[in-house]
Amino acid sequence: MQEQLVDLQNQAKNDLAKAKSLKEIEEVRTSYLGRKGALNNIMKRIPGLSPEQKALIGKLANKLKVEIDRDVEEAIKRLDLTSEVPLVMKGEKTTAQDTGGVFDLTLPGKRKPYGHLHPITQTINEIKRIFCMLGFAVEYGPEVEQEYYNFDALNVPQEHPSREDFDTFYLDNKLLLRSQTSTVQIRIMEKKKPPVRMIAPGKVFRPDTVDARHASMFHQIEGLMVDEEVSFRDLKFVLTSFSEIYFGQDIKMRFRPSFFPFTEPSAEVDISCSICNAKGCSVCSYSGWVEVLGAGMVDPNVFEAVGYDPEKYTGFAFGLGVERLTMLRYGIDDIRLFFENDIRFLSQF
Amino acid sequence: MKISYQWLKDYCNHNLSVNELSEGLTNVGLVVDTSTPIGDDYCLDVEVTSNRPDCLGIMGIAREVAAIVHGKFVVPDVDYDTTDENIEGATHVTIEEKDLCSRYTARIIRGVTIAPSPEWLQRRLQVIGLRPVNNVVDITNYVLMECGQPLHAFDLDRLEEKRVVVRCASNGEALVAIDGSKCTFTSDLLVIADSKKPVAVAGIMGGKETEVAEVTKDIFLESAFFEPRNVRKSSRKLGIASDSSFRFERHVDPECVDWASRRAAKMIQEIAGGKILKGVIDSNFIKQKKKSVSLRTSKLNNLLGIHLDKSEIKKILERLCFTIISETEESLEVEVPSFRGDVYREIDLVEEVARIHGYKNIPAISNIGVKLNRENKFDRVVVKAKSILSGMGYHEVVTDSIVENTQDKYAGIWSENNSIRIINPIRQDEALLRKTIIHNLLKVKKHNQNHGIDFTHIYELSKVYLGQKNGELPEEKECLCILGEEGFLPLKGIVETILLNLNINQALESVPYRSDLFTSEKSAELKLGDQAFGYMGELRKEVVHNYDFRNTPCITELDFNMLVNLANFKNSYHKAPSFPAIVRDLAVIASEETRWADIKRCIVSLKVNYLDAIEFFDVYKGKQIEQDKKSVAFRLIFRAGDRTLRSDEVDVYQETILENLKNSLGIKLRT
Repeated sequence: MQEQLVDLQNQAKNDLAKAKSLKEIEEVRTSYLGRKGALNNIMKRIPGLSPEQKALIGKLANKLKVEIDRDVEEAIKRLDLTSEVPLVMKGEKTTAQDTGGVFDLTLPGKRKPYGHLHPITQTINEIKRIFCMLGFAVEYGPEVEQEYYNFDALNVPQEHPSREDFDTFYLDNKLLLRSQTSTVQIRIMEKKKPPVRMIAPGKVFRPDTVDARHASMFHQIEGLMVDEEVSFRDLKFVLTSFSEIYFGQDIKMRFRPSFFPFTEPSAEVDISCSICNAKGCSVCSYSGWVEVLGAGMVDPNVFEAVGYDPEKYTGFAFGLGVERLTMLRYGIDDIRLFFENDIRFLSQF
Repeated sequence: MKISYQWLKDYCNHNLSVNELSEGLTNVGLVVDTSTPIGDDYCLDVEVTSNRPDCLGIMGIAREVAAIVHGKFVVPDVDYDTTDENIEGATHVTIEEKDLCSRYTARIIRGVTIAPSPEWLQRRLQVIGLRPVNNVVDITNYVLMECGQPLHAFDLDRLEEKRVVVRCASNGEALVAIDGSKCTFTSDLLVIADSKKPVAVAGIMGGKETEVAEVTKDIFLESAFFEPRNVRKSSRKLGIASDSSFRFERHVDPECVDWASRRAAKMIQEIAGGKILKGVIDSNFIKQKKKSVSLRTSKLNNLLGIHLDKSEIKKILERLCFTIISETEESLEVEVPSFRGDVYREIDLVEEVARIHGYKNIPAISNIGVKLNRENKFDRVVVKAKSILSGMGYHEVVTDSIVENTQDKYAGIWSENNSIRIINPIRQDEALLRKTIIHNLLKVKKHNQNHGIDFTHIYELSKVYLGQKNGELPEEKECLCILGEEGFLPLKGIVETILLNLNINQALESVPYRSDLFTSEKSAELKLGDQAFGYMGELRKEVVHNYDFRNTPCITELDFNMLVNLANFKNSYHKAPSFPAIVRDLAVIASEETRWADIKRCIVSLKVNYLDAIEFFDVYKGKQIEQDKKSVAFRLIFRAGDRTLRSDEVDVYQETILENLKNSLGIKLRT
């Protein structure tokens, strides 16, 4: 009788595997568990058994019932997924016995779903990993900020265009959405004495009209190193090392003078265009170079704002755009793809 | 800023090819975006950063080129012959707003012949994208592009009483500008007026009525310094921008005002004929004393990480037209030319030397050494939680923190306060910072459904923004929001798995929670211990319909920082049991209201010996079960640490458990 019960369970499994609709599943269920079902037929024979057998079969039958119920539920769940996984893959028997039959080894493997990290997260993670090797700690700061942290302390003049309302989102009470992650520099330096070595990834916001190149929310990573005798040379070393690991050793890096209120001397940093091997293409505007980040030596006014002695300490800061790096790396031509979150897009990373 | 390759050669002798010139300028901070061949010339589009208004003229760029190639910088000669008639008797200038116009010069050229410019002049303007108009207008544009100082030529005869007043407009005064746009002024706008009416918007654009035309005989040539902020404000307000306003906004060189006037007057006399009247009206000009800044060679070398000796530094600065006033062993005293308003500190001089020395000549070598950082627990918990979600097939999404105003409804349990509003949103109907991520995930599901994907297993770990009433920074709450398609319990299972793997011991409690988003049965506030942890539910039909979903997702939103605080990475190892367990599967009949938590608590409270675990199987309601009752199936696992248990021992415990379930909860074994 024990064997009958085991058979019954296997048959039920097989029948359920073949069931292709809720109705069919329900039919299978009643044929086993219903009042006139197979299981009840066996149960009816229990009274004629020895007491030991009674207990054993009773227990087995109960267990069987619970398990068939569970199989039924799983079958119902599978119904939803039939479009993804053909039913034929489900009934594979594992008998560990050489049945002499034929197994089609070319059938596709049965895959479990795997969730992907968003490409933005992956880029941030990789950049974190590289800078952690260089001894940089990861810090975070608020996205809603005071003007002081977004502008004043960063030596941005009162009349600077970046403060205007088409470059920064303003909230009530003189608050704003930070337009750059440089705010975290100030917050960290206010809290800690040198030496400081940190990066700060996060969201930033600007009222740009959304198109293939612009989003009103995007991600930046800020970097800062302050100590006695930190020089432009160290800045070049750190960024060149980063580039070698992130972009590869074949990629050249170019530092050219630029202007930011919070650094001096300032630099914009380009890498040689990997799309055209620096020969010139539409991605690099036919210059052979692609701008990847801004950097420079921390302006003495910034040190004054946080109470560091600019005669004693020097440092460098840099900021890079996460979306931009990700787009360059994967050849993505529309920034909006990051925020649409189409599974077909996300699954590629 | 567009420049002509050939024109540039007037001021510096160089043999650079267009490509070499572009590279050279880029390397000193003047990025050449494009170079376009036009006839035998090239138009170079140079990006000038906002700190370098001196490079908004071709001469300024030539000065940089001369510094790059160690060449000579040549300034055109501006000496000219005049008539005996004195300007004083011919016109008059009054400045009412001395703060907004700190220098105003005028020259008069009598008896000009207005005609098209000579071909060479027309061509130079065309190469840099300007349209030739007539000789006098072209010359003012030429000089503007040459030295960056805007000029304006009025027809003297059309100025009422032949005089000029620099004043604020009266409310309602109006002017038709040269480009045909009609400006109506308010009293905060600075205008150039004659004795009766405005004839130009100061620093921005001249008026049509007084412009130089074919009939013009006598020219009133204006060259001035207008206060940058005021020009920017006015330009924005009127919605008019010009090559002039662009330069005034960025600060012109007050010293150059008169030079530009001379240069233009001389060219007009040469090209359009006529005679320049003797003298100049130069109002309200207070010559500033030249700034001097000292530079320590040690400071420069330490900051850049190089070893330049003092003489090299001197040469670089002199090539940029800085003057060394005095020097010591260790430092230089440097006088800054008037056009370099951006240079006034030692660090500014360091930058000048670094630029010209070349960033590429600073080695990328360092000995920054090791720095050990304290572990960042937040990041560690993030990595762990995300890897669990990935393993379960959940995709991470990133969505916008700025949401539609309608999302203020059903805005989650975190805060009763109003959503934070953006004063200047891009779209008026998208002006709030989100208080929950739920709607963002629903929109992502919707997007995917529209593209043929019905089942989206997704999550986002990001901030929601909870406004404070006192005007302080809002609370930015890090939330983990998960959308699943397999039902309530599988989603709850994911939360449990995360808790388990972060070794969080606090029990996860689910309390009924009323929400407009969720069905009344499957809607829970989640707690860890007695602290609010989040909420979870199955979407209500109306919401499913609103989104036009083809199936019913479940969603949970959790306070992620609670996970970070409670996560424990210092767990210790437990030996796997050595002796087999005895397993009892039970199905019991309970009233519908009886909760699993009650059953479990009842069993646990008995502290039955050797009961190792209680595992829930399922709940069944249906035909074979009485109305108002349900069947609950679960498994009891008994195990002893030091021996194999006997079946009859377990029978006794099982009986105790069933007895107690019956007495306290009215539960009986299903038969």
